[in-house]
Amino acid sequence: MRAVARSDGSHAIWTEASEGFVSEGGRLWFGMAISNAEGESAAKEGGGGRKRKRREEPSLAKWRTQGEQRTYSTKLVEALRRVRRSPPSGATATTDHARSRAVREAADRALAVAARGRTRWSRAILSGRTLKRRIRPSCFRPKPVGSSAAARAAAERGKPATLEKKARVLGRLVPGCRKLSLPTLLEEVSDYIAALEMQVRAMSAIADALSAASSAPAAEPM
Amino acid sequence: MSSRRSRSRQMSSSRITDEQINDLLTKLQAVLPEAHLRSTDRVSAAKVLQDTCNYIRSLHREVDDLSERLSELLANNDINSAQAAIIRSLLR
Repeated sequence: MRAVARSDGSHAIWTEASEGFVSEGGRLWFGMAISNAEGESAAKEGGGGRKRKRREEPSLAKWRTQGEQRTYSTKLVEALRRVRRSPPSGATATTDHARSRAVREAADRALAVAARGRTRWSRAILSGRTLKRRIRPSCFRPKPVGSSAAARAAAERGKPATLEKKARVLGRLVPGCRKLSLPTLLEEVSDYIAALEMQVRAMSAIADALSAASSAPAAEPM
Repeated sequence: MSSRRSRSRQMSSSRITDEQINDLLTKLQAVLPEAHLRSTDRVSAAKVLQDTCNYIRSLHREVDDLSERLSELLANNDINSAQAAIIRSLLR
């Protein structure tokens, strides 16, 4: 079924990949990511009959649109106002570090909301972000034990062990993607990178606007 | 399910061809910075993964720095509604 002659070779892969996922009844990551590009609601888990003749690019291009960044910036500004009003720890001294961490978490949560729950990393962020920081130290201990078995298994499958190791490192960097297969992981990673880039752009714009607004003496007292 | 026999079905969770991985890596490499510097002939999987890890780490660092900057700006002055309107208009 792979011998579908297309001018764009990668397109054929994506089409069949999503069909394969659909017909397996497994997770529809490819299908959902691609159908998102068309603007349809990707809530349907069993859309097996749909033709997946779509480009894979629009699912990433949405992170570059002005509209998306504007929506994200607005949400982030509102979240920042809430951060300012309620100091995180409630203790006597709201340390700068605690506040910047609260800002970072608010920004990440807003980013995950912007993804509209269609990717694993966004759902992992929304469903309990603190776990990532706390569990990480303990995760290092079982790693040496399991990695040799995983390396052997990977070598059996023809994938070099170093590749597997690097993929695991990458999986740890993206929230919620520790135990994914390589194709799924790469899909999540590309979406995550596009989202992070938008986050950086939006936060830079807000910071610049804030510093400009605060330094200008024409701010109206409200 | 973990058999390595070639099956008629292309994409199963146990049989992932190198070609598919290569395609995914090429696509990933395209979004990394300095993509225009690389030749499009071969993609070294380890290098792409390593570059991706480094890029994600640098993006995380940037977000952390921006969070610090924003928190400092917030500490000095709250975002009142006038400034929020200013910000929104600047972002438009």
